[in-house]
Amino acid sequence: MTLDINRRNVLKATAGLSAAGLTGTAGCLGGGSGGSSRAPTDVTEWPPEDLEGNLNLWNWYDDWAEYAKEEFGNEFGVTVTNSGYSSPDQWYAKLQSGNSEIDNIAATTNWVERSIENDFLHELPVDIMPAWENITDRVKDVSSYQKDGKTYAVPESLVLYPLTYNEEYFDEEPRSWDVLWDEAHKDRIVMWDNSTVSCQIAALYTGQDPIEPDDFGEIEEVLKQQKPLLKTYWGDYQQGMSLFVNEEAVAGPLTMGRTYTARFGEGAPVNYTAPDEGAMYTSDLFVIPKGAPNPIASLQFTNWASEKKHATKLFETMGYMPAVDIGSELSEEDRTFTEWPDSWNLVFSATLSDEVRSKYDEIWTAVKAA
Amino acid sequence: MAEAASTEERSTGRNRRVRALVTYLRDRRRLRTSLVAGPPYAVLVLFFALPVLTMLVISFRLGSITGPFTLDNYANFLASDTYRTVLWRTLLVTVEVTAIVTVVGYALAYSIVRFSRRTTLLLLLVILPFWTSYIIRMYAWINILQSGGVLDSTLVLLRVVDGPVGLLYSQEAVLIGFTYVWLPLAVLPFYASLSNMDPDLIEAAKDLGAGPIKAFFTVTLPTTANGVVTGIILVFIPTFGSFITPRLLGGTNSIMIGMVIENQFKSAFNYPFGAAIGMIISAVVVAVLLFGARGGGTLFAGGDGP
Repeated sequence: MTLDINRRNVLKATAGLSAAGLTGTAGCLGGGSGGSSRAPTDVTEWPPEDLEGNLNLWNWYDDWAEYAKEEFGNEFGVTVTNSGYSSPDQWYAKLQSGNSEIDNIAATTNWVERSIENDFLHELPVDIMPAWENITDRVKDVSSYQKDGKTYAVPESLVLYPLTYNEEYFDEEPRSWDVLWDEAHKDRIVMWDNSTVSCQIAALYTGQDPIEPDDFGEIEEVLKQQKPLLKTYWGDYQQGMSLFVNEEAVAGPLTMGRTYTARFGEGAPVNYTAPDEGAMYTSDLFVIPKGAPNPIASLQFTNWASEKKHATKLFETMGYMPAVDIGSELSEEDRTFTEWPDSWNLVFSATLSDEVRSKYDEIWTAVKAA
Repeated sequence: MAEAASTEERSTGRNRRVRALVTYLRDRRRLRTSLVAGPPYAVLVLFFALPVLTMLVISFRLGSITGPFTLDNYANFLASDTYRTVLWRTLLVTVEVTAIVTVVGYALAYSIVRFSRRTTLLLLLVILPFWTSYIIRMYAWINILQSGGVLDSTLVLLRVVDGPVGLLYSQEAVLIGFTYVWLPLAVLPFYASLSNMDPDLIEAAKDLGAGPIKAFFTVTLPTTANGVVTGIILVFIPTFGSFITPRLLGGTNSIMIGMVIENQFKSAFNYPFGAAIGMIISAVVVAVLLFGARGGGTLFAGGDGP
């Protein structure tokens, strides 16, 4: 064997190593399309056959996901993992860079719409999924997850942004967002450090359409008026809940789920209501992103999660209104907690136009900097 | 037998190839340098230069990363009183935090070097918080600072105050949180420069008539200038871009520019504007550091550092 080490061979070897390195890096960055060659719409009969052996969830209902990992895994012989996330942009960035890892996401409506617009999601064969019938018409009607007659998601829960209040502090349920502008409650009220939620509350308070307000100046003005009365702007769900549990806050926006946990998990004297001016709500939905390595197991999971037993568990662990009618499965106090009177003026949090979203962000920055 | 001979032959062949490669590289200095320096440069280009360049390009787009070219993002930021106010407040908080951490960190490092025997243990205690998640440390501070929390209970028990102080959700809480988080970053370079300093220099200064304070400012501080500047840089940069600490510990006025950038990506979805703010604050930080380094150089004049 002859040894021929020269410039050309060294450069070739270096180029080879670089190519291998870049390939590896690209893999780490998720740049490849990856994924399975199968798609959920390949399933034409239920139950689907030949489930993959793994399932990678991205579900921010952490406690319920723990339950689901074990129950679904045992029932179908699938190894389930879950990446609990705190903000939807975490999984959305992965979809933007080419998903090859995530099989199933519990995603909020606005992000689902963005994902559909950018062709990031698999179409789902809901007509053959038995649990599709369990989803209430109320939820089916309000969630926007369809395009050109195709369905890209299955609703998981409704998420209400109500006015949460301390039952011991208030003699009776507050019926207006006005309590958040009442000097009598100075330093005992909080707002959510979220431009959209806070501006929409201000829009409702001033009698405007929160999706397309006509007087941004008024929204900014009332939020600035409110600022000296506030204890703080809470920026994290746990922090928001702790403010009520520690009774540092007696009124403010908090999610229904966190109010449930504060009330039944922490024993705090809190409850929630939708003020007369209205309250916003959205929905979380199960989606299967393109590039999912285990799409059929993911489809089976989506159906499984919408069965009454598992939807009930979702409510009992997280406190959000399930997309499935589980009234008959709940205890009396839980059933009472999930009752949304017909008289409530609930406004679905439709996706904002770029202009409104941008304006809300400007207002919120100006309010905080004031 | 034949197998053993074959193994020996392979081993000899491998050795010959290695020797040939070594010989080849020995005669080519530039190639050798490239092979050693190339990987770190490649990492820098791939994970620093390219992302910054990408951010720069995006910052000139309108509305989305595929939008048309525009200067509006920069113009809107610079023309807005709101954003300039936020930037100014961020700068003030950052300077306050850096000053506090520098003073406290230097005193801590000095006492470890000069007066302590168990330096390893003390340094271990200094870096111990790094083993815990940033968020969890912030939640620990929420428990300490909240009304009726650990701090309040202790102060009431010691009869320092009559009732709860409730420092949480205030600017003071933000300063405490930042000081706690960044202290180890400053102490380590301070310690390194102080421990390398020749203590005889201080004795010499005293022999020449300098008191402790004069000896500190004319000998100790200039001699450890490099470590001080390093510590200041390590604290200043992350504080300027922070958004978690002011969000969790701060009150209604605790807005920082990092929070504005975060909002562009998480709620406003205006990535180009977020990128433009990112580029602007990067320029501000570099300018402040350059200015600080020049000022620091004058302040520390006379010391070459260890």
